Amino acid sequence: MTRKLFKRFALVLGLGSAGFTLSGCEGVTYGVGVGIGYDPFYDSMLWNDYYRNVNVNVDVDRPPNKPPNKPPHGKPPVRPKPPVAKPPARPRPPVARPPAARPPIHRPAPRRR
Amino acid sequence: MQLFMKNVLAASATLWLGLAAGGHADTPVTYTQAGQALFRFDVPDFWMLRTGGMRDIEDTQLGDTRAVARVMGLRPVTDDKVWMGFVSPTGVATIRDGVRYLQDIDKFLVNDPQVTSTSDMSIGGRPAKVIRGTGRRDGRGVSFTATVIDLPRDRVAVSVAVIRDGADPAYADELNAVYASFRPLQ
Repeated sequence: MTRKLFKRFALVLGLGSAGFTLSGCEGVTYGVGVGIGYDPFYDSMLWNDYYRNVNVNVDVDRPPNKPPNKPPHGKPPVRPKPPVAKPPARPRPPVARPPAARPPIHRPAPRRR
Repeated sequence: MQLFMKNVLAASATLWLGLAAGGHADTPVTYTQAGQALFRFDVPDFWMLRTGGMRDIEDTQLGDTRAVARVMGLRPVTDDKVWMGFVSPTGVATIRDGVRYLQDIDKFLVNDPQVTSTSDMSIGGRPAKVIRGTGRRDGRGVSFTATVIDLPRDRVAVSVAVIRDGADPAYADELNAVYASFRPLQ
């Protein structure tokens, strides 16, 4: 009985940790992976920095940072708008996708005796 | 029956552990230059980060080598319709300078840009200028959000977020979550 329980425990632990390891790999690899390949926006930002010297005159008369304007007493503060506005929803195509065709190969039925 | 129970137990344990591991928070990233931490933000789960670094590049026609600041670019792993980049250009000290720095954006990031709105807001507790607009890139329509965020010690962070037409609008929430996680560092 104890041996059976131990076997079951080992199975759960082994498979579970395998799942944990796999999901961990996915997060780490994709989450902070390095993008390789064609990345036009990245390169564009590099070139923007390259040519900026032509157009930017650095001035040092930086004005002191003013404290943020406080709303009048009693009024709830207005929730700040996020920087990125939502683009319009994707239009639905006029033609509906046809139903998926049945696969040509079916699972074989169990052999009859 | 016994084998079936074993399988069920194992499958459920794997599922629970997988769910627990899948609940990871975003990944914090710090933008540094010459060993100095300037700001940080969170990279959403399942997004790729390209860190870059200080380097010299040269226009072959000009033959002039210039130092370029670190550009950090991020985009979803499975979708290239969305892109976001951060740079803290050397020598750009104020928001006004940062806006001038972005004036040439039409030469590089977006073609035929049309600015639709400009606003002042606070990002990470610092004043920021946000310029929204539309344009084209590779023959396709894009909407962009260019942001200049004031940083301590005469620095700014310049950020550009680009969403190509047809992208899932929900990506705007993820981009805003990156801005919400933005924190200047002393």
